[in-house]
Amino acid sequence: MNDQIGQNAAARPQQGVSFAQTRGAPQALAPGRAMLSLRGLDFYYGANHALKNISIDFPEQRVTGLIGPSGCGKSTLLRVMNRMYDLYPGQRATGEVLLDGQNIIAPGTDTNALRSRVGMVFQKPTPFPMSIFDNVAFGVRLHESLDRAAMEARIEDALRRVALWAEVKDRLRAPAAALSGGQQQRLCIARTIATRPEVILLDEPTSALDPISTARIEELLDELKVEFTIAIVTHNLQQAARCADQVAFFYMGELVEVAPADRLFTAPREKRTQDYITGRFG
Amino acid sequence: MSSNDPRRIVRSYEQELNQLRAMMARMGGMVESQTANALAAVLNRDSEAAQQAMEQDPEVDAVERDVEGRAIRMLALRAPMAQDLREIVSALKVTSDLERIGDYAANIAKRSLRIGSGDAGLSLGALRNMGRLVQESLRLAIDALSQNDEAKAIEVWNSDKAVDELYNSMFRELITYMMEDPRNISSCTHLLFIAKNLERIGDHCTNIAEQVHYSVTGELLPAARPRGGQGSERGFHLDPDDPEEGAQDDRDRDPARGVSDQGPAGPELGSR
Repeated sequence: MNDQIGQNAAARPQQGVSFAQTRGAPQALAPGRAMLSLRGLDFYYGANHALKNISIDFPEQRVTGLIGPSGCGKSTLLRVMNRMYDLYPGQRATGEVLLDGQNIIAPGTDTNALRSRVGMVFQKPTPFPMSIFDNVAFGVRLHESLDRAAMEARIEDALRRVALWAEVKDRLRAPAAALSGGQQQRLCIARTIATRPEVILLDEPTSALDPISTARIEELLDELKVEFTIAIVTHNLQQAARCADQVAFFYMGELVEVAPADRLFTAPREKRTQDYITGRFG
Repeated sequence: MSSNDPRRIVRSYEQELNQLRAMMARMGGMVESQTANALAAVLNRDSEAAQQAMEQDPEVDAVERDVEGRAIRMLALRAPMAQDLREIVSALKVTSDLERIGDYAANIAKRSLRIGSGDAGLSLGALRNMGRLVQESLRLAIDALSQNDEAKAIEVWNSDKAVDELYNSMFRELITYMMEDPRNISSCTHLLFIAKNLERIGDHCTNIAEQVHYSVTGELLPAARPRGGQGSERGFHLDPDDPEEGAQDDRDRDPARGVSDQGPAGPELGSR
């Protein structure tokens, strides 16, 4: 959670590359340009080589779906892309993770600023024990000092984008925990986009939700991709087929195949992909 | 599906796919036998074979409905992907091609009974050749289907040109007979429709081949395929009620279902 991780961002001096400089208005980039590029990425949990020589582009304004059996490294990949692994000793990444051309796993990267540019949403909704308003404002307050009117406008904008505004506008001060699971997850997405990131990482965001809430989140991704680069880890192949523009299949720490979703699900080139998506892996 | 594929985790899914494959193979066999009967009916004046070909038609239709039901059910319940998806979608399309072939065979059989015994003078040689080529195409197409054999599919796809050319030469020949003696018109018209039916069977064989190729490789064959028929009769509509008749450029699209060419075949057919 960028919000949790960045708690002491204000106190920490900016070091290395300042990612905050490029935040704000979306830059005029040609659709499909790679916002995030991995080049020869290796990742280790201690001695365990969890990601092996991964190279993949995440084009802007596109949803990239990451699929593969449990333990294949897809969630690890998300954790690398906003350096969440930094929080744990013994975990290290080598290679390049280029966010808009800058290698974010290089030493000296300001991880707090990075996490405001690369937001993350988890499997289980993680509302903070505070009001709906404060949940959304939390991350913004860490990175920006807005006056009250600007903050309220930012909160409303974020809640509207996740289609939650109509449901909560009369109870913004009510505890977030009172919301339903689906609403909580949309709140978490609102909290993420309120800091105006460039990339949103979602780790099985609908696995705990009912079909209607799931459909709402999927619809939301379709709207959000106009502004953000999105990576979604999912165990639900149909969900990857529905939401993702390109899909990457991982197996045992390797990137086996990445292709446009329609091609990967109708005519995968790799036998391992074919075996996995037709239910042949034990 | 190659034999070195690891076993599917959900065995009932594999069983359903196997059942679908078995039904396609069975339907292919039925249509092959129906076409053989229809040709025997015309070429050997065998009315018993004609009767058989006609009686087989409802059975083929029933299998088609069964295959369709199974395929739709699997699409809904199994959410198939990759080769499974291609195979099931192809089965849906191929079953409709096979059903059409069955219709054409039944139609040939019906017409065979209408060619008068006094018309023995008409040459059946070209029709015999065409029948042999079409039967061979059909046999290959069904082999390709049941063996997932891409090479055989390509062979069928390339072989239709010869059928088209034979049809065109028959067309010219029969027109000449009709011009020579108007008393030939009734029989020649039947023969012309029979030839056209055979030519259409050939087209459906290439459709099947295209589906097999797609199912196996995931790649579509090019829209244009080798074909004969550059002659004057190209695009000639023999039967105004049948949009498939003579519409050679429509073949690569899936033709509208339920089209009949039993139409203006003369009063004697209508009275049947």
